[in-house]
Amino acid sequence: MSVKSFTRGGYPLTENCFDELVSSDGSVRPVAAAIARFIDKHGATELCQRQDQLNQTISDMGVCFTLYSDGNNIDRAWPLDVMPRTIPSTEWQTTSAGLKQRLTALNLFIDDLYNKQNILKDGVVPADLVLQSRNYLAPCQGISPRFGVWANICGTDLVRDEDGRFLVLEDNLRVPSGVSYMLENRTVMKRVFPELFAESTIYPVDDYPHQLWRMLASLSPRHSDVPCIVLLTPGIYNSAYFEHSFLAQQTGIELAENTDLFVEDDIVYLKKLHGKQRVDVIYRRVDDVFIDPQAFRPDSVLGIAGLIKAWAKGNVSIANAPGSGVADDKVVYAYVPQIIQYYLGEKPLIDNVETFLCLDPKQKSYVLANLDKLVVKPANESGGYGILIGPRSTLAEQQQMAEAIKANPRNFIAQPTLNLSTAPTLCDGALEPRHLDLRPFILQGKELYCTTGGLSRVALKRGSLVVNSSQGGGSKDTWIINDEV
Amino acid sequence: MLLKSVDNIFWLGRYLERLDDTARLVNATSHLLIDSHKDTQFSWPVLLDVMGLDSKTALANYQLPPDATPEQASIEYAVMAHLISNSASTVSIRHTCSQLKYNARSIRQLIPRDMWEELNKLDIFLQQHCQQPGGRQQRYNLMTEVSRRCQMVVGVLDGVMLRSDAFDLFNIGRHLERADMTTRIMDVMVLQQLQPTQIKRPKFRWTSILNALGGIESYHYYLAHQSGDVDAIDYLLTYADFPRSIAYCLNRVAASAKGLPHSISILQQVHQLQALLKTEPLTELSTEQLHQLIDHIQAGIINLHKVIATPAENLSRAQLSA
Repeated sequence: MSVKSFTRGGYPLTENCFDELVSSDGSVRPVAAAIARFIDKHGATELCQRQDQLNQTISDMGVCFTLYSDGNNIDRAWPLDVMPRTIPSTEWQTTSAGLKQRLTALNLFIDDLYNKQNILKDGVVPADLVLQSRNYLAPCQGISPRFGVWANICGTDLVRDEDGRFLVLEDNLRVPSGVSYMLENRTVMKRVFPELFAESTIYPVDDYPHQLWRMLASLSPRHSDVPCIVLLTPGIYNSAYFEHSFLAQQTGIELAENTDLFVEDDIVYLKKLHGKQRVDVIYRRVDDVFIDPQAFRPDSVLGIAGLIKAWAKGNVSIANAPGSGVADDKVVYAYVPQIIQYYLGEKPLIDNVETFLCLDPKQKSYVLANLDKLVVKPANESGGYGILIGPRSTLAEQQQMAEAIKANPRNFIAQPTLNLSTAPTLCDGALEPRHLDLRPFILQGKELYCTTGGLSRVALKRGSLVVNSSQGGGSKDTWIINDEV
Repeated sequence: MLLKSVDNIFWLGRYLERLDDTARLVNATSHLLIDSHKDTQFSWPVLLDVMGLDSKTALANYQLPPDATPEQASIEYAVMAHLISNSASTVSIRHTCSQLKYNARSIRQLIPRDMWEELNKLDIFLQQHCQQPGGRQQRYNLMTEVSRRCQMVVGVLDGVMLRSDAFDLFNIGRHLERADMTTRIMDVMVLQQLQPTQIKRPKFRWTSILNALGGIESYHYYLAHQSGDVDAIDYLLTYADFPRSIAYCLNRVAASAKGLPHSISILQQVHQLQALLKTEPLTELSTEQLHQLIDHIQAGIINLHKVIATPAENLSRAQLSA
């Protein structure tokens, strides 16, 4: 099938980048065949009309995200590109196995860190590096949550290199967000492209809410009753409130703020219309250092006094467990292949992106000498903040970063600038390649579960690698397409 | 459901009904004007008075668009802008819709997806189409559409929402607001008749009000099947088969309150209001007395609201520690 079928004027592949829908020889990949046929038949005008219809659907459905801007909160319509991103199901099977492998190892690692610390004693991961991390929370020492699992919900960012291999870019183990948009993207796309769904075998994504509920329920410390599960949100002005309320609604659990909860005799209760109710599981969407002013930050206005004591006693489960963030430090990230090998005796099914640690003097010198080529990231930020993209930075920005690295080398890592994969994206009426990543969500409680695909985030500016919605990124529906014969 | 959500779900019901009824209030005036003699003086500010505003203050220095036509520069335009398009006015349709959206957002987890979508569509429609009060004919169609869309939301909710405390509180909110707004719409009529006027006493007909409330046919049915001396006032206050009468709304509030923990306090207030309707010999009331009765009913509704919205203060000690 010819590339011209995509745009009629040709589709300009980006040099040294893997394209999700089009091979380097210009032919359409087999998983994208139905989409190519649709465009051949209906043309770009129809595609534009579907994009309009899609935008209208998103605003009718009230799918939005909140930007903090100048002290105000602004609800923005969620950006979704009309062109889906396709992945063959056989490829997804190994990817999803790799993601489960990774989370299993990370949870063994966290449980070890807060208990026996064997991995530190064996010198596989430097002890200083972990114990001095601000994400290592001393009050969690000696605790082992149910099933020994700390990070119950993980959002792992995957990218493809120029050969099309998936690599892990980072693990989000604190309060990963975005899964609601994965679900809503699919709902919207089904309305906009009913014929494409009829024509291909696209794996569904909509069992996530039930899987989430099952995982949370498996954490309940009481066995006899129907568990009382609560999603703890910072409130309606939080940037992720859409997702909090959406997930509560979809899973049928309560959506509560800290003022709806209280602790009495180390038991957590919810203030309900008919009286108080004992809480078994808290799905917290508040950063761990804010959840209990008695245990962590005394200035927190989002916390519940006494929660950590109730948790430590085993009277309530918290997902993700406080202290899980110790493993999503970008410096710890560099050690994940060794961590997998250490606990599971297996080779990682998905590799890391090559990473330079600035705390190592040799690697630091290399980073400082190559700031114009590397991507430098602070160890503990998320949302794409504080990142230096070498090839797109000014000399002044590089100098500023050099100073920051010298002042606190522990806090920085660097990676080569990746040629992130691209996918055809509707831009001003034509299909152009745009870079994208993928955030699947992995659940671990009694069992392991991985979403079918995930949230594809796309950088809407030509050439840009920044996919975060807070910084002008968009999204695509991710289609895992059956390619088994 | 959470104790905190009581207020939001109750207000969701109130604001949704207020939107519908504000549209009906506006259309009641259109009917009044169509049905009256061409020289009749209609007092526009009364529409703001019945909404509990001081119309003089509300209309002082009213901001008209700089390119206002003579028609727009009229008091009618200012009153309609205040009721429809001015988002800073607490009684405007646009303001009410913002409040509706805020409450819906706060309790999104209780709202079924289909209803959430219908609420979004209502909001988008109102923010787009209620930027200007418009001319009379345009306004009439717009208000009819507002009512229709509000009823879509209620219909979707009725079809899909779990029968729960939240559902009951939503319905209590709706019917409390409806009772309140029916008295206000009645008051438009009463206050018009009490207006000082240079010309002969205006002869407005209740038919217009009944039309706007969608109750003209059932009023004729009522007349045909009721013995004794009855009129539109009896009908709107006491005819419990008509879904916009005060009696009907109170019955619905009482029925929906039964499963709530503070139902006893709520039912006490409802009974007091019901007693108010029964003791008055309605057909013998003068216009002034009718106005006073409406005031009393509205005061009773405020008390009822307070009891419903504060369950914690209206629970017994035993219930609180349960």
